[in-house]
Amino acid sequence: MNIWERMQVIDRRWVYLMVALAVIIPFIIPMKFPISITPETQSLYDAVEALPDSSNVMLVFDYYPSTMAETEPMAVAAARHFFSKDCRVITLSNIPLGGPSMAENVTRLIAEEYGKVYGVDYVNLGYKYGYVSVLKGMGQSIESIFPTDNSGTPLSELPIMDSVVNYDDIAFIFEVADNATADYWIAIVNAGYGVPMGVGATAVMAPKFYAFVGAKQIVGLLGGMKGAAEYEILIDQKDAAFKGMDIQSLVHLLIIGLVVMGNVSFFFGRRKRSREKS
Amino acid sequence: MTSVAILQIWIVAFFTLALFSFLYKDNPVYKLAEHIFAGLTAGYQVGLVWDTVVIQKLWDPMIYDGKWWLFVPGILGFLMFARFWPKYSWVSRVSLAFVMGTTSGVFITTQLHGLVLPAMKSTMLPLGGGGGLAQAVLAIIVVVGVVSTLIYFYFSKEHTGALGVTAKVGIWFIMISFGAHFGYTVMGRVSLLIGRVYFLFYDWFGTFSEIF
Repeated sequence: MNIWERMQVIDRRWVYLMVALAVIIPFIIPMKFPISITPETQSLYDAVEALPDSSNVMLVFDYYPSTMAETEPMAVAAARHFFSKDCRVITLSNIPLGGPSMAENVTRLIAEEYGKVYGVDYVNLGYKYGYVSVLKGMGQSIESIFPTDNSGTPLSELPIMDSVVNYDDIAFIFEVADNATADYWIAIVNAGYGVPMGVGATAVMAPKFYAFVGAKQIVGLLGGMKGAAEYEILIDQKDAAFKGMDIQSLVHLLIIGLVVMGNVSFFFGRRKRSREKS
Repeated sequence: MTSVAILQIWIVAFFTLALFSFLYKDNPVYKLAEHIFAGLTAGYQVGLVWDTVVIQKLWDPMIYDGKWWLFVPGILGFLMFARFWPKYSWVSRVSLAFVMGTTSGVFITTQLHGLVLPAMKSTMLPLGGGGGLAQAVLAIIVVVGVVSTLIYFYFSKEHTGALGVTAKVGIWFIMISFGAHFGYTVMGRVSLLIGRVYFLFYDWFGTFSEIF
């Protein structure tokens, strides 16, 4: 058995070990791979930057805890950008498993950084079952769908909601998602009510959302950890996603190398087999 | 850090490592973690639907807000349980018919208006729209890609001759799309791994100094 044939039957655990090393090494030795800004991230940043100060905006936490590594840096960066522009941030979630509590944790943490007050500068509406009815219902009245915030305080007692009745009063929606609810925000809220939207999607979902950018249904897109890292660079707050990109780049190089080696070994192995047959 | 927070971190670390142990080979610790996760999720969903639908949307409005007419959807929902008894399972079709009707009504308009029509519009780009040659080439590529991919999925005629060539072009577009999806999927999965490694390195290892 020559080297090419041996490579084709390599135990998958060696690959796992190589990936583990590629993840751990940048922790010890930072590599500082360059990160370029994509037009989709830039246009999303520009759209938020162009909002008048103190606009009412929605930051939607439509992701499960399992994808926090990708999505939370997007939500954190978006919250920082909104608060830095003194926007009034309304958060909600269509995800029952952890959505409202993640919205609570992220916004409270970032609000403290910017000295923002709950109920005045931001509010967490929490979760309601049935996202299609929720999204449609908020077009009539947000209070009819969320009579109280996540902690049970009536919205009528929160000053931030004085100027907000429905989507007409929302200047921008930033949807951070790891599932199909983002499609419904686009199909129902953007198409139906014309509210400008930006989407932060997991990398697995990102290719699909380029079509929405092309169709101008969303102003921009953050695709996975790379998108989050780009946004962190643009708002000048390098954080978790930026730090993770060193590892991403190294693992990607490793996987590219493995794909090339796998293909080369396959073709050389095939040539040897056909030579042996003849 | 409180002892409860430390305990929480250790539980998360245990389940993370238990699930990672599958990478070496299937084992009882992995199975335990998997079963606990499945059980917790099922239990949580039942509690969630009970609280957010049955209590908040049905019981409370009916009893405390006087919205007595909600007993109609309540009964329709109750009829769904007839599926458990084969003799009476036909009763559940009444509720299913209602669900199918409303879902079709909502989704057909939403999907057409919100997704299909804008997507079609964005494939019909002007060749001389002021974007220069690059814009024109891009517009042509989009049209060729859409048409050839659709033809690949047209199965009522054998893919030979011009139809076969166009379908082959469609395959190329589909393959490029798969490549993009695969690349992004790798990035997504590596991101999740990075998240877990960050947790183990910073949060879990961080508790060591507090305990030992």
